[in-house]
Amino acid sequence: MHAVRNGNLCTKDCLCLYVCPTGATDTETGQIDFEKCLSGCRLCVDACPSHAISLVPDEFPAQQEKSEAIVKALLELSESKTEQEKIAAAVEASTDDPVVRQLAKAISTSNRLMAEDLLREAGYMLPQSQNTRDFLQSLLELEQSDDFPKDVVEKLLKIL
Amino acid sequence: MRKFTCSICGYIYDEAEGVPADGILPRTKWEDLPDDWVCPMCGAPKAMFDELVTEITSEPLTIDKADNSSGEIRSLSFAEMSALCSNLSKGCEKQYKKEESDLFNQLAGYFKRKAGVSEGKEFNDIKDLIKNDLEASYPSANNVLADSRDRGALRAMVWGEKVTKILKTVLMRYDKNQNALLEDTNIHVCEICGFVYIGDEPPDRCPVCKVPKIKIAKVLRR
Repeated sequence: MHAVRNGNLCTKDCLCLYVCPTGATDTETGQIDFEKCLSGCRLCVDACPSHAISLVPDEFPAQQEKSEAIVKALLELSESKTEQEKIAAAVEASTDDPVVRQLAKAISTSNRLMAEDLLREAGYMLPQSQNTRDFLQSLLELEQSDDFPKDVVEKLLKIL
Repeated sequence: MRKFTCSICGYIYDEAEGVPADGILPRTKWEDLPDDWVCPMCGAPKAMFDELVTEITSEPLTIDKADNSSGEIRSLSFAEMSALCSNLSKGCEKQYKKEESDLFNQLAGYFKRKAGVSEGKEFNDIKDLIKNDLEASYPSANNVLADSRDRGALRAMVWGEKVTKILKTVLMRYDKNQNALLEDTNIHVCEICGFVYIGDEPPDRCPVCKVPKIKIAKVLRR
Protein backbone atom coordinates (compact mmCIF):
# COMPACT_ATOMS: atom_id res chain seq x y z
CA MET A 1 0.00 0.00 0.00
CA HIS A 2 1.55 3.25 -1.16
CA ALA A 3 0.73 6.81 -0.26
CA VAL A 4 -0.86 9.24 -2.73
CA ARG A 5 -1.59 12.92 -2.40
CA ASN A 6 -4.90 14.49 -3.47
CA GLY A 7 -3.85 17.79 -5.00
CA ASN A 8 -7.31 19.28 -4.50
CA LEU A 9 -7.01 18.89 -0.74
CA CYS A 10 -3.29 19.52 -0.17
CA THR A 11 -2.71 22.92 1.46
CA LYS A 12 1.09 22.59 1.52
CA ASP A 13 1.37 22.21 5.27
CA CYS A 14 4.47 20.12 4.61
CA LEU A 15 4.11 17.81 7.62
CA CYS A 16 4.49 14.90 5.18
CA LEU A 17 7.95 16.17 4.32
CA TYR A 18 8.93 16.30 7.97
CA VAL A 19 7.82 12.77 8.82
CA CYS A 20 8.77 10.83 5.68
CA PRO A 21 11.80 8.62 6.45
CA THR A 22 12.77 8.27 2.77
CA GLY A 23 12.03 11.67 1.27
CA ALA A 24 9.33 10.15 -0.95
CA THR A 25 6.89 12.98 -0.27
CA ASP A 26 9.28 15.76 -1.34
CA THR A 27 8.94 15.84 -5.14
CA GLU A 28 8.62 18.52 -7.79
CA THR A 29 5.63 16.78 -9.41
CA GLY A 30 3.17 17.25 -6.55
CA GLN A 31 2.79 13.50 -6.29
CA ILE A 32 4.50 11.11 -3.86
CA ASP A 33 7.34 9.05 -5.31
CA PHE A 34 6.03 5.48 -5.47
CA GLU A 35 9.51 4.05 -5.80
CA LYS A 36 10.73 5.56 -2.54
CA CYS A 37 7.50 5.18 -0.55
CA LEU A 38 7.60 2.43 2.10
CA SER A 39 4.59 0.16 1.69
CA GLY A 40 2.09 0.59 4.50
CA CYS A 41 4.22 3.08 6.48
CA ARG A 42 1.44 5.71 6.63
CA LEU A 43 3.39 8.27 8.72
CA CYS A 44 2.50 11.01 6.21
CA VAL A 45 -1.15 9.91 6.09
CA ASP A 46 -1.53 10.39 9.84
CA ALA A 47 0.51 13.60 9.97
CA CYS A 48 -1.32 15.47 7.20
CA PRO A 49 -3.61 18.09 8.80
CA SER A 50 -5.62 18.46 5.54
CA HIS A 51 -6.31 14.73 5.14
CA ALA A 52 -4.90 15.00 1.64
CA ILE A 53 -2.88 11.77 1.72
CA SER A 54 -4.24 8.23 1.60
CA LEU A 55 -2.94 4.75 0.92
CA VAL A 56 -3.81 2.99 -2.32
CA PRO A 57 -4.10 -0.78 -1.85
CA ASP A 58 -2.08 -3.06 -4.10
CA GLU A 59 -4.65 -5.83 -3.98
CA PHE A 60 -8.42 -5.83 -3.95
CA PRO A 61 -11.00 -8.49 -3.18
CA ALA A 62 -13.15 -9.78 -6.04
CA GLN A 63 -16.28 -7.79 -6.83
CA GLN A 64 -19.52 -9.06 -5.33
CA GLU A 65 -20.75 -11.93 -7.48
CA LYS A 66 -23.41 -11.02 -10.03
CA SER A 67 -26.32 -13.27 -10.91
CA GLU A 68 -27.07 -13.90 -14.56
CA ALA A 69 -30.54 -12.37 -14.25
CA ILE A 70 -29.10 -9.16 -12.82
CA VAL A 71 -26.42 -8.92 -15.49
CA LYS A 72 -29.09 -9.29 -18.17
CA ALA A 73 -31.27 -6.63 -16.61
CA LEU A 74 -28.29 -4.25 -16.44
CA LEU A 75 -27.28 -4.98 -20.04
CA GLU A 76 -30.81 -4.29 -21.29
CA LEU A 77 -30.43 -0.79 -19.87
CA SER A 78 -26.83 -0.30 -21.02
CA GLU A 79 -27.96 -1.07 -24.57
CA SER A 80 -30.58 1.67 -24.34
CA LYS A 81 -28.23 4.20 -22.71
CA THR A 82 -25.48 3.69 -25.30
CA GLU A 83 -28.03 4.05 -28.10
CA GLN A 84 -29.25 7.32 -26.55
CA GLU A 85 -25.64 8.46 -26.36
CA LYS A 86 -25.20 7.69 -30.07
CA ILE A 87 -28.39 9.52 -31.02
CA ALA A 88 -27.37 12.59 -29.02
CA ALA A 89 -23.92 12.42 -30.64
CA ALA A 90 -25.59 12.35 -34.08
CA VAL A 91 -27.66 15.42 -33.20
CA GLU A 92 -24.55 17.15 -31.91
CA ALA A 93 -22.64 16.40 -35.11
CA SER A 94 -25.41 17.42 -37.51
CA THR A 95 -26.43 20.84 -36.21
CA ASP A 96 -24.97 24.33 -36.60
CA ASP A 97 -26.87 25.60 -33.59
CA PRO A 98 -24.51 25.93 -30.58
CA VAL A 99 -27.39 25.69 -28.08
CA VAL A 100 -28.64 22.42 -29.58
CA ARG A 101 -25.07 21.13 -29.62
CA GLN A 102 -24.71 22.00 -25.95
CA LEU A 103 -27.92 20.21 -25.01
CA ALA A 104 -26.98 17.17 -27.12
CA LYS A 105 -23.55 17.07 -25.49
CA ALA A 106 -25.11 17.12 -22.01
CA ILE A 107 -27.46 14.26 -22.96
CA SER A 108 -24.73 12.12 -24.52
CA THR A 109 -22.44 12.68 -21.52
CA SER A 110 -25.20 11.79 -19.09
CA ASN A 111 -25.99 8.58 -20.96
CA ARG A 112 -22.33 7.61 -21.16
CA LEU A 113 -22.06 7.96 -17.38
CA MET A 114 -25.15 5.82 -16.81
CA ALA A 115 -23.85 3.16 -19.22
CA GLU A 116 -20.50 3.13 -17.41
CA ASP A 117 -22.25 2.65 -14.09
CA LEU A 118 -24.42 -0.19 -15.42
CA LEU A 119 -21.42 -2.03 -16.86
CA ARG A 120 -19.44 -1.53 -13.66
CA GLU A 121 -22.28 -3.17 -11.74
CA ALA A 122 -22.50 -5.93 -14.34
CA GLY A 123 -19.16 -7.24 -13.05
CA TYR A 124 -16.51 -4.89 -14.42
CA MET A 125 -15.82 -2.68 -11.42
CA LEU A 126 -12.13 -3.42 -10.99
CA PRO A 127 -9.53 -2.96 -13.72
CA GLN A 128 -7.45 -5.73 -12.10
CA SER A 129 -10.30 -8.25 -11.94
CA GLN A 130 -10.47 -11.57 -13.73
CA ASN A 131 -13.54 -10.32 -15.60
CA THR A 132 -11.56 -7.41 -17.02
CA ARG A 133 -8.70 -9.73 -17.98
CA ASP A 134 -11.13 -12.13 -19.67
CA PHE A 135 -12.66 -9.22 -21.56
CA LEU A 136 -9.25 -8.02 -22.77
CA GLN A 137 -8.20 -11.56 -23.67
CA SER A 138 -11.41 -12.06 -25.66
CA LEU A 139 -10.58 -8.97 -27.71
CA LEU A 140 -7.32 -10.60 -28.79
CA GLU A 141 -9.06 -13.82 -29.71
CA LEU A 142 -11.80 -12.21 -31.81
CA GLU A 143 -11.26 -11.20 -35.37
CA GLN A 144 -10.63 -7.45 -35.34
CA SER A 145 -10.20 -4.86 -38.06
CA ASP A 146 -6.76 -3.60 -39.15
CA ASP A 147 -6.84 -0.49 -36.99
CA PHE A 148 -7.48 -2.48 -33.79
CA PRO A 149 -4.89 -1.36 -31.20
CA LYS A 150 -3.69 -4.84 -30.34
CA ASP A 151 -0.55 -3.48 -28.67
CA VAL A 152 -2.67 -1.47 -26.22
CA VAL A 153 -4.57 -4.57 -25.13
CA GLU A 154 -1.40 -6.63 -24.80
CA LYS A 155 0.27 -3.93 -22.78
CA LEU A 156 -2.71 -3.70 -20.42
CA LEU A 157 -2.76 -7.47 -19.89
CA LYS A 158 0.92 -7.27 -19.03
CA ILE A 159 0.91 -4.38 -16.55
CA LEU A 160 -2.50 -4.67 -14.85
CA MET B 1 -51.93 22.18 4.51
CA ARG B 2 -50.27 19.45 2.45
CA LYS B 3 -46.72 18.57 1.50
CA PHE B 4 -45.36 17.37 -1.86
CA THR B 5 -42.05 15.67 -2.44
CA CYS B 6 -39.88 15.71 -5.57
CA SER B 7 -39.49 12.15 -6.84
CA ILE B 8 -36.07 13.03 -8.22
CA CYS B 9 -34.21 14.71 -5.39
CA GLY B 10 -36.46 14.48 -2.35
CA TYR B 11 -37.08 18.24 -2.00
CA ILE B 12 -40.29 18.85 -0.04
CA TYR B 13 -42.72 21.60 -0.97
CA ASP B 14 -44.69 22.52 2.13
CA GLU B 15 -47.85 24.55 1.41
CA ALA B 16 -47.62 26.07 4.88
CA GLU B 17 -44.18 27.47 4.17
CA GLY B 18 -44.20 28.26 0.45
CA VAL B 19 -40.82 29.31 -1.00
CA PRO B 20 -40.46 32.91 0.18
CA ALA B 21 -37.03 33.24 -1.47
CA ASP B 22 -38.69 32.68 -4.86
CA GLY B 23 -41.68 34.91 -4.11
CA ILE B 24 -44.02 32.03 -3.26
CA LEU B 25 -45.84 33.09 -0.13
CA PRO B 26 -46.59 30.80 2.82
CA ARG B 27 -49.98 29.05 2.51
CA THR B 28 -49.71 28.86 -1.30
CA LYS B 29 -51.62 25.75 -2.35
CA TRP B 30 -50.02 23.20 -4.67
CA GLU B 31 -52.62 23.79 -7.39
CA ASP B 32 -51.96 27.54 -7.19
CA LEU B 33 -48.29 27.15 -8.05
CA PRO B 34 -47.73 28.13 -11.69
CA ASP B 35 -47.69 25.25 -14.20
CA ASP B 36 -44.12 26.09 -15.15
CA TRP B 37 -42.93 26.02 -11.55
CA VAL B 38 -39.96 23.69 -11.14
CA CYS B 39 -38.26 22.07 -8.18
CA PRO B 40 -35.90 24.68 -6.65
CA MET B 41 -33.39 21.94 -5.92
CA CYS B 42 -33.15 19.99 -9.18
CA GLY B 43 -35.35 21.68 -11.78
CA ALA B 44 -37.91 18.86 -12.05
CA PRO B 45 -41.41 20.03 -13.13
CA LYS B 46 -44.53 19.76 -10.99
CA ALA B 47 -45.50 16.45 -12.61
CA MET B 48 -42.52 14.81 -10.91
CA PHE B 49 -43.89 15.58 -7.43
CA ASP B 50 -45.98 13.23 -5.31
CA GLU B 51 -48.11 14.18 -2.37
CA LEU B 52 -46.56 13.11 0.91
CA VAL B 53 -48.89 10.68 2.60
CA THR B 54 -48.15 8.93 5.85
CA GLU B 55 -49.46 5.54 4.82
CA ILE B 56 -47.94 3.76 1.86
CA THR B 57 -50.66 1.93 0.00
CA SER B 58 -49.03 1.11 -3.32
CA GLU B 59 -49.00 -2.53 -4.33
CA PRO B 60 -45.67 -4.11 -5.19
CA LEU B 61 -45.10 -4.52 -8.90
CA THR B 62 -45.55 -8.03 -10.17
CA ILE B 63 -43.71 -8.37 -13.42
CA ASP B 64 -42.81 -11.63 -15.05
CA LYS B 65 -39.15 -12.30 -14.49
CA ALA B 66 -38.85 -14.93 -17.19
CA ASP B 67 -37.62 -12.42 -19.77
CA ASN B 68 -34.41 -11.77 -17.91
CA SER B 69 -33.57 -15.25 -16.81
CA SER B 70 -33.52 -17.28 -19.99
CA GLY B 71 -30.86 -17.63 -22.64
CA GLU B 72 -27.20 -16.71 -22.65
CA ILE B 73 -25.74 -13.37 -21.67
CA ARG B 74 -25.19 -11.52 -24.94
CA SER B 75 -21.87 -10.03 -25.95
CA LEU B 76 -21.26 -6.29 -25.67
CA SER B 77 -21.71 -3.82 -28.53
CA PHE B 78 -18.90 -1.48 -29.60
CA ALA B 79 -20.62 1.39 -27.80
CA GLU B 80 -20.81 -0.67 -24.61
CA MET B 81 -17.17 -1.75 -24.92
CA SER B 82 -16.29 1.93 -25.18
CA ALA B 83 -18.23 2.75 -22.02
CA LEU B 84 -16.69 -0.27 -20.28
CA CYS B 85 -13.19 0.91 -21.18
CA SER B 86 -13.79 4.56 -20.28
CA ASN B 87 -15.02 3.40 -16.90
CA LEU B 88 -12.04 1.10 -16.37
CA SER B 89 -9.87 4.10 -17.25
CA LYS B 90 -11.50 6.00 -14.40
CA GLY B 91 -10.94 3.01 -12.13
CA CYS B 92 -7.21 3.18 -12.89
CA GLU B 93 -7.13 6.95 -12.48
CA LYS B 94 -8.61 6.60 -9.00
CA GLN B 95 -5.75 4.27 -8.12
CA TYR B 96 -3.29 6.81 -9.56
CA LYS B 97 -2.37 4.36 -12.33
CA LYS B 98 -1.87 6.86 -15.11
CA GLU B 99 -0.39 4.60 -17.78
CA GLU B 100 -3.18 2.02 -17.43
CA SER B 101 -5.75 4.80 -17.39
CA ASP B 102 -4.41 6.25 -20.66
CA LEU B 103 -4.37 2.82 -22.32
CA PHE B 104 -8.00 2.12 -21.40
CA ASN B 105 -8.89 5.57 -22.72
CA GLN B 106 -7.25 4.74 -26.05
CA LEU B 107 -9.32 1.57 -26.23
CA ALA B 108 -12.47 3.51 -25.32
CA GLY B 109 -11.73 5.94 -28.15
CA TYR B 110 -11.20 3.11 -30.61
CA PHE B 111 -14.51 1.45 -29.75
CA LYS B 112 -16.31 4.79 -29.82
CA ARG B 113 -15.13 5.35 -33.39
CA LYS B 114 -16.22 1.80 -34.26
CA ALA B 115 -19.65 2.40 -32.71
CA GLY B 116 -20.20 5.59 -34.72
CA VAL B 117 -23.30 7.73 -34.19
CA SER B 118 -26.96 6.96 -34.92
CA GLU B 119 -27.28 9.17 -37.95
CA GLY B 120 -30.60 10.63 -38.97
CA LYS B 121 -32.05 10.26 -35.49
CA GLU B 122 -33.20 13.11 -33.27
CA PHE B 123 -34.21 14.01 -29.73
CA ASN B 124 -37.64 12.41 -30.25
CA ASP B 125 -35.97 9.04 -30.73
CA ILE B 126 -34.26 9.48 -27.36
CA LYS B 127 -37.65 10.20 -25.80
CA ASP B 128 -38.97 6.87 -27.12
CA LEU B 129 -36.06 5.00 -25.55
CA ILE B 130 -36.51 6.87 -22.26
CA LYS B 131 -40.18 5.93 -22.25
CA ASN B 132 -39.28 2.28 -22.66
CA ASP B 133 -36.58 2.53 -19.97
CA LEU B 134 -39.00 4.02 -17.47
CA GLU B 135 -42.02 1.92 -18.30
CA ALA B 136 -40.38 -1.44 -18.94
CA SER B 137 -36.65 -1.81 -18.31
CA TYR B 138 -36.34 -0.18 -14.88
CA PRO B 139 -39.47 -1.81 -13.42
CA SER B 140 -38.36 -5.19 -14.73
CA ALA B 141 -34.79 -4.71 -13.43
CA ASN B 142 -36.06 -3.52 -10.06
CA ASN B 143 -38.20 -6.61 -9.90
CA VAL B 144 -35.21 -8.87 -10.53
CA LEU B 145 -33.21 -6.96 -7.92
CA ALA B 146 -35.92 -7.01 -5.28
CA ASP B 147 -35.03 -10.58 -4.30
CA SER B 148 -31.27 -10.05 -4.36
CA ARG B 149 -28.79 -8.61 -1.91
CA ASP B 150 -26.94 -6.77 -4.65
CA ARG B 151 -26.89 -3.26 -3.22
CA GLY B 152 -24.49 -2.03 -5.89
CA ALA B 153 -26.79 -2.91 -8.75
CA LEU B 154 -29.75 -1.56 -6.80
CA ARG B 155 -27.92 1.72 -6.30
CA ALA B 156 -27.20 1.95 -10.03
CA MET B 157 -30.94 1.44 -10.67
CA VAL B 158 -31.99 4.14 -8.21
CA TRP B 159 -29.54 6.71 -9.56
CA GLY B 160 -30.10 5.77 -13.21
CA GLU B 161 -33.87 5.88 -12.95
CA LYS B 162 -33.75 9.34 -11.37
CA VAL B 163 -31.34 10.65 -13.99
CA THR B 164 -33.50 9.15 -16.74
CA LYS B 165 -36.56 10.95 -15.35
CA ILE B 166 -34.54 14.17 -15.27
CA LEU B 167 -33.55 13.68 -18.93
CA LYS B 168 -37.20 13.10 -19.77
CA THR B 169 -38.16 16.40 -18.16
CA VAL B 170 -35.24 18.24 -19.77
CA LEU B 171 -36.46 17.09 -23.20
CA MET B 172 -40.07 17.99 -22.30
CA ARG B 173 -38.94 21.45 -21.24
CA TYR B 174 -36.89 21.80 -24.43
CA ASP B 175 -39.93 20.92 -26.55
CA LYS B 176 -41.85 23.68 -24.88
CA ASN B 177 -39.24 26.44 -24.62
CA GLN B 178 -36.81 25.49 -27.41
CA ASN B 179 -33.47 27.31 -27.21
CA ALA B 180 -34.85 29.82 -24.70
CA LEU B 181 -34.49 27.00 -22.15
CA LEU B 182 -30.70 27.34 -22.24
CA GLU B 183 -29.84 30.60 -23.98
CA ASP B 184 -29.48 32.76 -20.87
CA THR B 185 -28.28 30.13 -18.47
CA ASN B 186 -26.02 27.08 -18.15
CA ILE B 187 -26.38 23.32 -18.31
CA HIS B 188 -24.38 21.06 -16.03
CA VAL B 189 -23.78 17.31 -15.80
CA CYS B 190 -22.77 15.48 -12.64
CA GLU B 191 -19.59 13.59 -13.54
CA ILE B 192 -20.46 10.81 -11.12
CA CYS B 193 -24.08 9.86 -11.89
CA GLY B 194 -25.04 11.85 -15.01
CA PHE B 195 -27.57 14.14 -13.29
CA VAL B 196 -28.36 17.09 -15.60
CA TYR B 197 -29.11 20.53 -14.18
CA ILE B 198 -30.22 23.64 -16.04
CA GLY B 199 -29.49 26.86 -14.18
CA ASP B 200 -26.79 29.46 -13.60
CA GLU B 201 -25.05 27.58 -10.78
CA PRO B 202 -25.35 23.88 -9.93
CA PRO B 203 -26.71 22.88 -6.49
CA ASP B 204 -24.16 22.48 -3.66
CA ARG B 205 -24.59 18.72 -3.82
CA CYS B 206 -25.88 16.50 -6.58
CA PRO B 207 -29.48 15.68 -5.59
CA VAL B 208 -29.13 12.16 -7.04
CA CYS B 209 -25.72 10.86 -5.86
CA LYS B 210 -24.96 13.58 -3.25
CA VAL B 211 -21.46 14.37 -4.52
CA PRO B 212 -20.30 17.97 -3.81
CA LYS B 213 -20.68 20.42 -6.68
CA ILE B 214 -16.98 20.37 -7.55
CA LYS B 215 -17.92 17.20 -9.52
CA ILE B 216 -20.83 18.82 -11.37
CA ALA B 217 -19.38 20.15 -14.61
CA LYS B 218 -20.69 22.93 -16.82
CA VAL B 219 -21.22 21.86 -20.44
CA LEU B 220 -19.60 24.49 -22.65
CA ARG B 221 -21.46 26.08 -25.56
CA ARG B 222 -19.36 26.04 -28.71
